[in-house]
Amino acid sequence: MEVSRKIVLPGDLLSTNPKTAGPNTYVEGNRVYARVLGLLDKTETTVRVIPLKGRYVPSVGDTVIGIVKEVTANGWIVDILSPYVAFLPILENPNMRPNKKPNEVLDIGDAIIAKVMNIDPKMRVTLTMKDKLCRPIRVGRIVVINPTRVPRVIGKKGSMIKLLKSELDVQIIVGQNGLIWINGDRRKVSIAEEAIYIIEQEAHTEGLTDRIAEFVKKRKIEMGLAKPEEVKGEREGKIENQGGEVVPEIPEERLKGDGNGGDKADS
Amino acid sequence: MSDEILMEVRRDYVLAKIREGERIDGRRFDEIRPIEIKTGLIKKAEGSAYVKLGNTQVVAGVKMQIGEPFPDTPDQGIIITNAELVPLASPTFEPGPPDENAIELARVVDRGIRHSEAVDLKKLCVEEGSKVWMIFIDIWALDDDGNLMDASALAAISALLNTTVPAERFEVGDDFPLPVRNLPIAITSLVYEDKILVDPCRDELSVGKNTITITTDQDDNIVSIQKSGPFLLREDVFDELLDVSIKKAKEVRRLLAEI
Amino acid sequence: MEEIKLIVDGKRLDGRAFDELRPIKIEAGVLNRADGSCYLEMGGNKVVAAVYGPREVHPKHLEDPSKAIIRYRYSMAPFSVEERKRPGPDRRSIEISKVSREALEPVIMKELFPRSAIDIFVEVLQADAGSRTACLNAASVALIDAGIPMRGMVTSVAVAKVEGILVLDPMKEEDNYGEADIPFAFLIRNGKIESITLLQMDGRVTKEELKTALEMAKRGAMQIYQLQREAILKKYIKEEEVME
Repeated sequence: MEVSRKIVLPGDLLSTNPKTAGPNTYVEGNRVYARVLGLLDKTETTVRVIPLKGRYVPSVGDTVIGIVKEVTANGWIVDILSPYVAFLPILENPNMRPNKKPNEVLDIGDAIIAKVMNIDPKMRVTLTMKDKLCRPIRVGRIVVINPTRVPRVIGKKGSMIKLLKSELDVQIIVGQNGLIWINGDRRKVSIAEEAIYIIEQEAHTEGLTDRIAEFVKKRKIEMGLAKPEEVKGEREGKIENQGGEVVPEIPEERLKGDGNGGDKADS
Repeated sequence: MSDEILMEVRRDYVLAKIREGERIDGRRFDEIRPIEIKTGLIKKAEGSAYVKLGNTQVVAGVKMQIGEPFPDTPDQGIIITNAELVPLASPTFEPGPPDENAIELARVVDRGIRHSEAVDLKKLCVEEGSKVWMIFIDIWALDDDGNLMDASALAAISALLNTTVPAERFEVGDDFPLPVRNLPIAITSLVYEDKILVDPCRDELSVGKNTITITTDQDDNIVSIQKSGPFLLREDVFDELLDVSIKKAKEVRRLLAEI
Repeated sequence: MEEIKLIVDGKRLDGRAFDELRPIKIEAGVLNRADGSCYLEMGGNKVVAAVYGPREVHPKHLEDPSKAIIRYRYSMAPFSVEERKRPGPDRRSIEISKVSREALEPVIMKELFPRSAIDIFVEVLQADAGSRTACLNAASVALIDAGIPMRGMVTSVAVAKVEGILVLDPMKEEDNYGEADIPFAFLIRNGKIESITLLQMDGRVTKEELKTALEMAKRGAMQIYQLQREAILKKYIKEEEVME
């Protein structure tokens, strides 16, 4: 198997056209250099590095999964597995009621799905839960992966996540911070979790979507969840039913897709 | 904290001056501030010196006692150098054991004295293998207006020149002057981009505490170098630093010969 | 003091040429808990480096609102030297930690992570001459392995003067009985030495010798740089092989 793209190290020269400098590069003296260890992604117009390692650094619009660390009178301090803790103000939690205390709504240790609403220049992060996608997590399972592998779990135009959802009929919400919520049939959730770990491990290789499809099929048969011939039809049918796509770059679309899934499971 | 704010304010002024090819106190880039050296001011010490470099003030004291030699040098005296950045010298100095800056200061001064072989340690052996003279050099900062390093190194060698070995007190013969045979001089420069500011004052250090200390002996050998501060040093700048440090050290050494 | 001959018949005690490095072994990503790590052997040095962060700063008052703070801890295990070393930082370790941190700081893009800390811990498990250079080489690999944004690689090597001759990457005897020890570190970018990032000197040399030493160190550093790169790349190419 081939590594899909060239691995570059910090300081490697990527281009001599500063106009092409994309994410995870830096420009000095009209030259574009890599600034992190990662995969080189070079087109005619841009050059960028897809990191192989590194912590999650929040950016506005990101969906994140966090754990409440502290409850204050004004809101909740949330650990989002980043160098920066986030703050969820009372006003940004639709579950808050005037007759309730903050800790009756969310307490220390509770997991939530939230969105990054604002980041100030000093990297103070504010969250909101005023979004269909956002919710406290009371059921299902949370999986933690390296945040740099999140784009691979989502796949090109959401292809990977769509595959998992349709093949396994589970709800999946991917936090950009590397926390992933999976809900549904216990055995199917387990298969999804295994698949996600494989994606994390092999994120820098090619043909991953096909291999994951194979893996899921195999595991379903092993667990008695499907017969070999049934698998294909079920998958195609489900894909058509999925309205929204999961695209990492466009949060609105992801919201729609995940929101649909969520409604189905809650009922 | 307020000290940091003041530094911020000074910074723009210093930078503007540097861009015009000037220094805030009107010095040339390779000009050292006025130096004042007084020796023997501490009567309880075997040797002492007060150095004023511009507005930076330091006192160094030498105390001696008899102790055991290091096993690998049984016939040689021992030098131990210590520096304290006591809180009276700057609002940023805090009480407590020496921090990394104080430790670096002491170790760089020590290396200059040691590697120039400024003191003839073989003449400080009382009884080979069991009794040698131990020289304790303690550097006390009084006022940090920048470049404590050079002031301290100068105070240390001046104090050594002023030292009398207290042999009578320890009942091992007659007192004699400490055998000093070389004069190491430390020259510290602030590096800002490709500019070299010799003997930076505190305000100048507001542009970044990026310095190089080069210590040379009286034969122009280099006996110690310390790059201090988070910066990238260009090779051509380094070459220039070597030349300027050797040249400036000669000037300072001349002053030392007068005391 | 007994005289020890360090150069015999134009060769060093361990048979190396004057400009030859000791054997080096580097492995990236050896620790699970750390964000990035490296195990490195350089001659008799065996060191492990770990990088944590960017992460929250504790204690809080050390936070810098405009950039990450960098912390570097050089530490020697009590069993790393002949005579047991008392654990904890001594004056030498504190100084090495300071200059090593300052060697890495201008290369790390700390302004990308305000109010955070990047912690670099290096443990010397077995000490030989040049442990600070070995530690810096390991730390640089660990930083890259942690995905920390950097301007390039930091590579470190020392040159010593022994019986009037300059030698690359000194071993213990050369370090103990030589006339000078000059540890260097460089920022290397895209296979080219850009600048000096650590420089100390301890001993006695002329200006000309110092310049020759610098050239010697640069050539040695380029060899180490290649090994550092290979160690990082190997980690990802190995994963791929395992999968097949």
